Amino acid sequence: MKFTVDWLKQYTDFSYTPQELADRLTMAGLEVDAVTGIFPELQDVKVAEILETRPHPDADRLQVCDVQVGQEKKCIVCGAPNARPGIFVPVALPGVVLAGGFKIKKSKIRGQASDGMLCSAKELGLAQDADGIMELAGVITSGQSILEALELKDTLIEVDLTPNRPDCASVIGTAREVAAMSGTQLRLPVALDSLPKLEGTPSFTVTVADESLCPRYVARRLTGVTVAPSPWWLQKRLISVGQRPINNVVDATNFVMLEFGQPLHAFDFKKLAGSALVVRTAREGEKITTLDGQARELDPTMLMICDAEKPVAVAGVMGGDNSVIETTSTEILLESACFNAVSIRKTSRKLNLSTDASYRFERGVDPQLAPLAMERLVQILTDIAGATVDEGGFDLAGGVPLPQEYSLRVSQTNRLLGTNLTAVEISGYLTAIEMSVRQVDEDTLGVTPPSFRIDIEREADLIEEVTRLYGYNEIGVSLPVVPMSFANRDAGRTLKKEVAALLTANSCYEAINYSFVSPGHGDLLGLAAGDERRQTVKILNPLTEDQSVMRRSLLPGLLENVRWNINHQNGDVRLFEVGKVFVPKAEGKQPDEETKLGVVLSGRRYGQAPALYFEQDPLDFFDVKGLVLSLLKELRLDQVELVPDDRHNPYVDPCQALLLRADGKRLGQLGRFSNQCLKNFTIKQDVYFIDINFDALTALEPAPKKFTSLPRFPSVERDIAIVVPEPVATGAMIAAIWEQGEKLVEHIELFDVFRGKNIAEGFKSVAISVTYRSHDKTLQEKAVAKVHQRIVDKVLSRFDGRLREV
Amino acid sequence: MEEALQKLKAEATADLAAITRASDLEPFRIKYLGRKSPFAQLMRQLGDAPSEDRPRLGQLANELKKDLQLLFDEKKASLVQEGAGESSGIDLTLPGRMQPQGKLHPVTQIMEEICAIFEGLGFTVAEGPDIETDFYNFEALNIPAHHPARDMHDTFYVDDSILLRTHTSPMQARVMETKQPPLRVISPGKVYRCDSDITHTPMFHQVEGFLVDTNVSFADLKGVLSVFIAKMFAETTPIRFRPSFFPFTEPSAEVDIGCVMCKGKGCRVCKQSGWLEILGAGMIDPEVFKKVDYDPELYSGFAFGLGVERIAMLKYGINDIRLYYENDLRFLRQF
Repeated sequence: MKFTVDWLKQYTDFSYTPQELADRLTMAGLEVDAVTGIFPELQDVKVAEILETRPHPDADRLQVCDVQVGQEKKCIVCGAPNARPGIFVPVALPGVVLAGGFKIKKSKIRGQASDGMLCSAKELGLAQDADGIMELAGVITSGQSILEALELKDTLIEVDLTPNRPDCASVIGTAREVAAMSGTQLRLPVALDSLPKLEGTPSFTVTVADESLCPRYVARRLTGVTVAPSPWWLQKRLISVGQRPINNVVDATNFVMLEFGQPLHAFDFKKLAGSALVVRTAREGEKITTLDGQARELDPTMLMICDAEKPVAVAGVMGGDNSVIETTSTEILLESACFNAVSIRKTSRKLNLSTDASYRFERGVDPQLAPLAMERLVQILTDIAGATVDEGGFDLAGGVPLPQEYSLRVSQTNRLLGTNLTAVEISGYLTAIEMSVRQVDEDTLGVTPPSFRIDIEREADLIEEVTRLYGYNEIGVSLPVVPMSFANRDAGRTLKKEVAALLTANSCYEAINYSFVSPGHGDLLGLAAGDERRQTVKILNPLTEDQSVMRRSLLPGLLENVRWNINHQNGDVRLFEVGKVFVPKAEGKQPDEETKLGVVLSGRRYGQAPALYFEQDPLDFFDVKGLVLSLLKELRLDQVELVPDDRHNPYVDPCQALLLRADGKRLGQLGRFSNQCLKNFTIKQDVYFIDINFDALTALEPAPKKFTSLPRFPSVERDIAIVVPEPVATGAMIAAIWEQGEKLVEHIELFDVFRGKNIAEGFKSVAISVTYRSHDKTLQEKAVAKVHQRIVDKVLSRFDGRLREV
Repeated sequence: MEEALQKLKAEATADLAAITRASDLEPFRIKYLGRKSPFAQLMRQLGDAPSEDRPRLGQLANELKKDLQLLFDEKKASLVQEGAGESSGIDLTLPGRMQPQGKLHPVTQIMEEICAIFEGLGFTVAEGPDIETDFYNFEALNIPAHHPARDMHDTFYVDDSILLRTHTSPMQARVMETKQPPLRVISPGKVYRCDSDITHTPMFHQVEGFLVDTNVSFADLKGVLSVFIAKMFAETTPIRFRPSFFPFTEPSAEVDIGCVMCKGKGCRVCKQSGWLEILGAGMIDPEVFKKVDYDPELYSGFAFGLGVERIAMLKYGINDIRLYYENDLRFLRQF
């Protein structure tokens, strides 16, 4: 909702500065979005008087004009045919910057020096198009600012109107608020008691089929209309709030709509078949071409204004081009009506057509406004278009609801606000905004809101008004007294915090990606055509194709983050995300939301650490494996095992992947992305990942913390170096040692795997250290040797190994 | 002679004790233990002493010198060991051996800070689904179909009745449906609106909170939010409440704080007003209570909602909301 300060002052007096006014409106619940001068770019455009013109020596269509700008004389080349001595025109002198950043400079046009530019209304942004330069009339002097000459020195205020205050979607509605806050009178441009009685007319008929869809319809006919450009005062009001003047009839209807908040429409009377207006819903198969040139299919839920044969306007939304006012129109029929808000909104949505009129009707228009706005419109058109209004007309008001009284309890008001207001105080506040209030009983007031406050329909609405007028900031501050209770912690949330702490301690940064992604992610991951993971929840109205489906995996987003960072000269990337993925279910059902943990690692192992001390090698599979293991260890999830994955994932390198499994169930995966996948994401370096079902992780029971006595006797360490065939898994060797169940074995550590010198091709040397300890005595060399020998023998025979000769 | 020796020892010991830098050791050595030191001079004068005293004085002088040398060596060793001097050979300007650490996303940091304040006030955290039904997102919150208030929510739809939640307020209805007052709940999470420019991303984070009991008043709402703002920003942060409209609260309020950028003087961030809007709030509308079968005559309560990204922008001075979801390490490292 936009208005200017000067326009507002037409209806009430106030002495606030524009900024004060804006602050007060904001505090009254009409939040001001912007306070700006209108046409600030015209600040430096001045009025010039053309003294003399002569043809340009080298160009047929140009003239050289001597102009007076205040005390100065300038010589300006101009191409406008209407440039002639004696007229006043706008001039932009060198240095002025016009709308669109167009900077005026001293120039030479075909060899002739020019000191600036004489401007057309279009060049000043005051009209859509223009013939020649703008001629200024009225009491003006050269050198004056164009804003003064055009009476455009004004301030535009833009209010972000909440849906509960449709009464303020007009300059008068806003003026009423200002009058209430400053204690001044509201001046309406038409006298309420001078409205004519409209009880029909012989020249046309009006029928309203359903009063619930059209509570009020006022119609009058004008004759002898001359359609022409509007006078400047009217054009000025429209352009000052960003509207485009069209002609006097259209401009006047728009003006009165902005002034009163009542949408109005004008039909070319001669185009109405049967001189009839019928307000009815569309018939099956009816069509209309609206004023924007769009042919529109109608359905029987849509309310239409029709003549005897066909729809001529979409009620409350837009007129039809079959009844449009043209420059040749002389007889017009004016409509000032009130339509059902929900009906207009549905029609507007279905037609995908939103207008200033539909905006107001959707929010609700005061049904008492129609005759007032009609009277105002008739006055203006009589004045500026030479029109004569017919005696009589129609005012069908059968659907207008009677004023309603609502109860307001003083006790409830004070209970809800934490105040001690009296009935007299409350009554005073409400009376100030034109509500009529009577005392029903000791605690109850009967309140009847004025017709324009269609938002007031309950006690709660009245309490809100009392709050607003008492002042939100006057209400005290207290803390609620609530019984103590224990706030249970959500397990997933707690685990997320723990995991995040562990991952950040391991130099991973947290990422947050959009939940909606490109449908192309399935292809980028290389999923097979029938892969279930290609099923996504689709958004009906996405902003872009890249954000049109809900993600099924965190990995593509994280891969895109890796690429982004590499492209911004940061190849050492360690990111994690804990977030939801969405699995579609049957239509009409909410999808399943699963929380996942995703981690990506790429680049150097210690890329962020001082290179002086840390190797700058690229990280590898065992970094990601180590990260998973330390995570599981810290979370005490001993039941999770890492096993080879028998399921092939196209985006995973099959040689570098492990499955996380707990109690036989898949929990997630870790590994390296396949070359193809990395290529699809245009990443040219290795990327490792962890992908864990976080909900399943949350469901796992951590091992209880349990104390074990500290050992009292020393341990003994023995090393084994065994040469085994290359395919033997070191993990299997260690497992084999444990499996022997030797009670003295306390710890087994793999400390070297060696290939090369003295080791035959196809073999490797595996060095393992075993720690032995007894809990009730100091071990004797002999006892250890015996156990150790058993272990060595077992490993040698089981893995076809031989002791490495040192 | 004996006196001179004792005095010299005392001086030397004191001088040595005062030394804190290795660079002062060498001058000391030259002064007291060098060939031209007073010691050496005294030793040379030994020949002049009476012959019966000579052996005793000689022994004394040697002992003193030995003691001093010992003290000097200890001092030298201790200074080198502590690395207290430049001549110790350690370059103290070398980088520290920092173990790299990661960080939480700034949105998470702020969200946790917000939650922690309300948890401190006894609020329980409840998270709900991102993909909501029309009922919980709108109907239950007194926003029927075809209500103009739906225009305040640019909604992403999945189908006619399923949508991406436009706020975390649906948790009000979801919690109240299953629990009875007294209730104190906050609900953090992602929300979605089809809007994208430098101040809007189509996904952002909200924390919704509500409190329901008998006799909860607007003054209580002001009290709780004032505590929150004091803890989140500063104890002295100016606060103002002004009328607004949300279909699920009545009266509804916008809460502004004194601009943290210009301290209320007026700047671009606060559009010259000196105030920044940071949350929306109000008394829960009786219609919302009716939908969950609470008696509005018995219970009252308040609700509030705030945008996490906006608060992070204000606290950290971030000027472009799109940075949040690029996950650029140069950004993430800053918080």
